[in-house]
Amino acid sequence: MATITVDDREIKVNDGALLIEELLAHGVKIPHFCYHPTLGKDGNCRMCMVEIEGKKRPQIACDTPVSDGMIIRTKSNGIQKVKRQILEMQLVNHPVDCPVCDQAGECSLQNYYMDVGLYESRLNTPKTHARKHVDIGSNVVLDQERCVLCTRCVRFTKEITKTKELGVLNRTDKSVISIFPGRPLFNPYAMNVVDLCPVGALTSKDFRFHKRVWFLKSYEATCNGCSKGCSLHVDHHKDKYKSDSIFRYRPRFNDNVNGYFICDTGRLSYKKENDNRDSFAQIKGKQSKYKDVKDRLCSLLKKYHGEILLLLSPSLSLEEMLKIKKLASVYDAKISGYDTCEYDSNFGDDYLKCNDLSSNRRGFNLLQIDEKIESLNKFSKNIKLAVLFGRDDIETIENYENIETKISINASMPKKPKLYDLYLPMMTHTSKEGSFINIDGFLQFSNSHVEYTLETQALLEIISDFLNDDISTCEEIWKVKLKKIVNNIELETVKKKSIKMSNL
Amino acid sequence: MGIKIVSRYGNTLKEKLYLPAVISGLKVTFSHFITNLKDTSKIETICYPEQLPKDITSRYRGVHRLKKREDNSIKCVACYMCATACPSECIFIEAVEREDNIDEKMPKKFSIDLLECIFCGACAEACPCDAIAMDTGIFSFVKTKREDFVLDIDILLSHEPMKGGN
Repeated sequence: MATITVDDREIKVNDGALLIEELLAHGVKIPHFCYHPTLGKDGNCRMCMVEIEGKKRPQIACDTPVSDGMIIRTKSNGIQKVKRQILEMQLVNHPVDCPVCDQAGECSLQNYYMDVGLYESRLNTPKTHARKHVDIGSNVVLDQERCVLCTRCVRFTKEITKTKELGVLNRTDKSVISIFPGRPLFNPYAMNVVDLCPVGALTSKDFRFHKRVWFLKSYEATCNGCSKGCSLHVDHHKDKYKSDSIFRYRPRFNDNVNGYFICDTGRLSYKKENDNRDSFAQIKGKQSKYKDVKDRLCSLLKKYHGEILLLLSPSLSLEEMLKIKKLASVYDAKISGYDTCEYDSNFGDDYLKCNDLSSNRRGFNLLQIDEKIESLNKFSKNIKLAVLFGRDDIETIENYENIETKISINASMPKKPKLYDLYLPMMTHTSKEGSFINIDGFLQFSNSHVEYTLETQALLEIISDFLNDDISTCEEIWKVKLKKIVNNIELETVKKKSIKMSNL
Repeated sequence: MGIKIVSRYGNTLKEKLYLPAVISGLKVTFSHFITNLKDTSKIETICYPEQLPKDITSRYRGVHRLKKREDNSIKCVACYMCATACPSECIFIEAVEREDNIDEKMPKKFSIDLLECIFCGACAEACPCDAIAMDTGIFSFVKTKREDFVLDIDILLSHEPMKGGN
């Protein structure tokens, strides 16, 4: 440990760490473009200048290791002037087309101009022009004029994906970011460059022009695309006279799971969530009233007491699984988690993507839910009613001829609706809360509440109505049962950070 | 966030004293008062709506219009600043990629609900491209259906600035 003084405040820091890391960690505002925690220092933007006592000139904080007794000033008039001049230099050829730029509102250039700039333009020569709105592949649009050449995107393709599609061409003010001829950006993590870009040079074709960012509100959720369960920001907005809708997913920093990035498949999976919110209840494929279907389902459960099979999806939350177990014990039903469709051997890679597409298969181990086909075969001999929770694989139970009634409770509409006697929609992943255990055994809490316009309920509420109990929120279930199962971890702790589960 | 300080007028001694401004204002009031006392037929009231006002200036905040560029194409770039600034949230915009190489972005839909609008002029003030204005001089807007008060992009573009405004 070392002690340094920053603007007359003493802070304790790790010896040998980069100055910018420690300053940012202690909430000191340091403008920067090229430094990124994952990509490290590059020292090209010169924006993070600080005054260090004993040094002749201002130093860049991103390439200065801390040493004991350093005295640093970040707000003196001298250093503000230096920053202003560097920013002026960065903005010399910038087109200042904020009205059409998607980054406006979350742009470092805009923020730093308001922090340290505030000058009038002194430029009276024409600006250098470059190519604008170039589609460089993988849903990324490049604007070379807006670029500050921090090379975060170049370093991302070099160090993280190792695909090296991007590079810097030419010198001086003709210097631009570009792809190589005929070699578009093509890797499963390409859209992360949009988040990495501190300015509007790289924007997402998918999000472009759909919403100005200052309208968006954000929930903290996890991705349900595969068993990695990357942490997400769910950016949504409810327009006046329109329904609540998700406009984009952004990666949320989680050191244990996904770092600062997510894959493109996961990033674009918000579209399915938006579609799911329009699902309506059905009887034999015909649209019906939600309450009617629910009542009918409730009476069927009573009618077939003791002859019921509950098939669980491995993507349900721990709370939902527990609740279904309770339902099974009340109606004397059999439970199975056997499943084949949530697996894709072509999806995974050695970084964030996993072949197992379910988001909570480890939850089956924790709650001791059987997922072997032998047990399913054994159970299903004297079953008359099968209820599929969160899944649409009717082919799994088609061979059992003794099953008279097939019901699905799922967020998305069934692919073959006529095969189900009843279909009851439940709230989709981004509209409910719940805990999930990812493939590496990290327990995470997803907390997203994108509103429904239809009367659809969350699965916990639906089952709670069947059981006639009042336990329908995650907090209550944790208090009653789940806390004991997960080694007395508090829900509040899981909400703040992911926790490694050891007993799986 | 910093604060950009803009220089303000009104710091001279004459302006700070207030009295010269008060007196010059009262001069106008009293000159009207005396004129009206002398000859009541000259009092400037009109029989509306048979007679229409002729003294509406171009600063009057009438029904909005969307401006055009020199090549007659739409000036608006759908930046949403007007919708953001609007206190009654009555501006509805949908943006789309502009394909004609004049700019990158343009509105696909742009409608203003005049029943919700409070004619404050914040939209015109917020516009960074000077693409929306309220200088049409249209002070009365009468329709029979509520839906007709929602002006779409074509109607807004068809509005012309007031003629002979000063």
